[in-house]
Amino acid sequence: MRLPHSLQARLVLAIGMSVGVVWVISALIATATIREKVNKVFDSALEETAQRILPLAVQELFEAEDDGTAQLISTLREHDEFLVYIIRDRSGRILLRSHDADIQNFPPFEQDGFVKTDKNILYYDSAVGGDFTITIAEPLAHRNEAARETLLALGVPLFFLLPLTIGGIWLLLHFMLGPLRGFRDELAVRGGQDLAPVDTGRLPAEIIPIAEAVNALLERLQRTLESERGFASNAAHELRTPVAAALAQTQRLQSEARDEKTIQRANNIEISLKRLNRMSEKLMQMARAEGGSLRAEKPHDLVQILRMVAGDLAYGDHDNQIQLTLPDVPVLSWIDPDAFAIAARNLLENALRHGSREMPVAVDLQLDGTLTVANAGPIVPPEDLKKLTHRFARQNRNTRGSGLGLSIVQVIADGSRSKLEINSPATNRIDGFEVILYPARF
Amino acid sequence: MRVLLVEDDTVLGAGVRDQIKVEGHSVDWVTRLDEAGGYIAAASYDLVLLDLMLPDGRGLPFLRELRKKGDVTPVIILTALDQISDRIDGLNAGADDYMVKPFDLAELSARLAAVARRYAGNPNPLVTIGDLEVDLAARAVRRQGKLIPLTAREWVLFEGFVQHPGQIISKAQLEDHLYAFDIEIESNTIEVHISRLRKKLGREKIETVRGMGYRLGEA
Repeated sequence: MRLPHSLQARLVLAIGMSVGVVWVISALIATATIREKVNKVFDSALEETAQRILPLAVQELFEAEDDGTAQLISTLREHDEFLVYIIRDRSGRILLRSHDADIQNFPPFEQDGFVKTDKNILYYDSAVGGDFTITIAEPLAHRNEAARETLLALGVPLFFLLPLTIGGIWLLLHFMLGPLRGFRDELAVRGGQDLAPVDTGRLPAEIIPIAEAVNALLERLQRTLESERGFASNAAHELRTPVAAALAQTQRLQSEARDEKTIQRANNIEISLKRLNRMSEKLMQMARAEGGSLRAEKPHDLVQILRMVAGDLAYGDHDNQIQLTLPDVPVLSWIDPDAFAIAARNLLENALRHGSREMPVAVDLQLDGTLTVANAGPIVPPEDLKKLTHRFARQNRNTRGSGLGLSIVQVIADGSRSKLEINSPATNRIDGFEVILYPARF
Repeated sequence: MRVLLVEDDTVLGAGVRDQIKVEGHSVDWVTRLDEAGGYIAAASYDLVLLDLMLPDGRGLPFLRELRKKGDVTPVIILTALDQISDRIDGLNAGADDYMVKPFDLAELSARLAAVARRYAGNPNPLVTIGDLEVDLAARAVRRQGKLIPLTAREWVLFEGFVQHPGQIISKAQLEDHLYAFDIEIESNTIEVHISRLRKKLGREKIETVRGMGYRLGEA
């Protein structure tokens, strides 16, 4: 049998079944005990009745004339006969019998005491040295019925009380497991990047060690990720300076060389160096986006960050322009400023690289922190739109770019419990491409 | 313009130094912060290009200390620290601009010129002086739309006058502006460059203020 996944359902099932089994066993034991006691009482009553009837019957038989026929004791009024009897002489001839006594049910006298047949329990007794014997019978069905009624009286409440008990246990457990559900929900709604400790305040004492173990694990994970993040950052620094040196020397070579072939070689080196830099930069950005909490220790102004990112790209290797529409007041957000800058930079680079040269890239920031980056250009088919946030996805093989930009933004959106929406054509346009990054929810 | 370059990577430093020289500016290049402090104390620079991670310390505390002393020399940070939070820290410490390695030398030149213009109080790259149209961003001078070719040294000299209109600039200041510490210059070098500039732009464009120096002519 497969147990339900819910701890509450398991507990209710286990406790309900245990209560039911214990109840049934108790009812059976009680019935057996009562039956034994009832049998003793009934046996005693049978014996007592025989011993009362026999002397009276013997006296009457002595006084009456024996005409060779059996006397039938008539009843005062009709009723169920639970005890019937016959009185025999030494030869086994029936001298007296109660009105409902069926001769077939009375085997001959052998000795005093109890005898059990298929239908009756019989008691034999004798008087006057064995000249008179009495056999008194009680139907077994009578005793069985008494036992059955006792069992029923003990069992019937189970059918009503068991569901009520299960319902009560269910409600009680539901109430008591409330803090545990809160603990589960708090973990369930978290993104992969949220490694803040879980609140253990309302948890029962038995669960607190588990929650503390989870928190200890989260802390260890956080430290490991921070160490990896630090490594990524240091690696980026170590790699950037030699690439910068090589690029500077190459660009000087381009300026100073007079030979066409040398200039061409220098151009090729420059292209490769820039590609190397772009790829290492994207891998570092991905490592940072995945590496730790995206919640800052204090809120930052997104307007300032967007201005810086757009200012950087203004000097870039592209023809089109960036049109910023930013609020006049600061837009404060708890998202990590570096993560937001990485997301914004990737969205802008993407739009500048793939957008039309004739139309500027429109960057719009709302007061609630919603960032929209839209560019003119050909419509991206819906089947390609879905793949754009996959790693190393490119719309076509000839497109420049690392294929990581939008997947980095998606990781940042997930890590900040935000949402990324990609539209083509862009809103209020017949062409183009648009990405909306909704505000972080911490 | 006289520039102090503080960069410990010798290959990168050499590339940047050569680029600035070709643009016609004078460059002093040091690889340590203690050296940079000594150079700044000894000479007046128009711009400092500052790396943030140097063998004898970090660039940001150095920059903060510089600003605390009241030194307003424009500073552009050249660094491998690419995070936006590093940049905010850099700008808060008093930097005028922030460039992340690796960068294009052409972009460095453009930013260098932009910072210099901002400090000269004229962020607009297009300036008109009499019949001359000067494009500070493109480093070009035109008369009636016709380009007047200037050498790098001539341009830097002229740019110095354009950025300080009306001010008298001494010969010593012009030598500082044009040449680094390690260059031996002839006593009449400045006069030779001024003479050539006057020939190309018109005699009245640069006035001699006897015993004091030169200034941009109003005509």
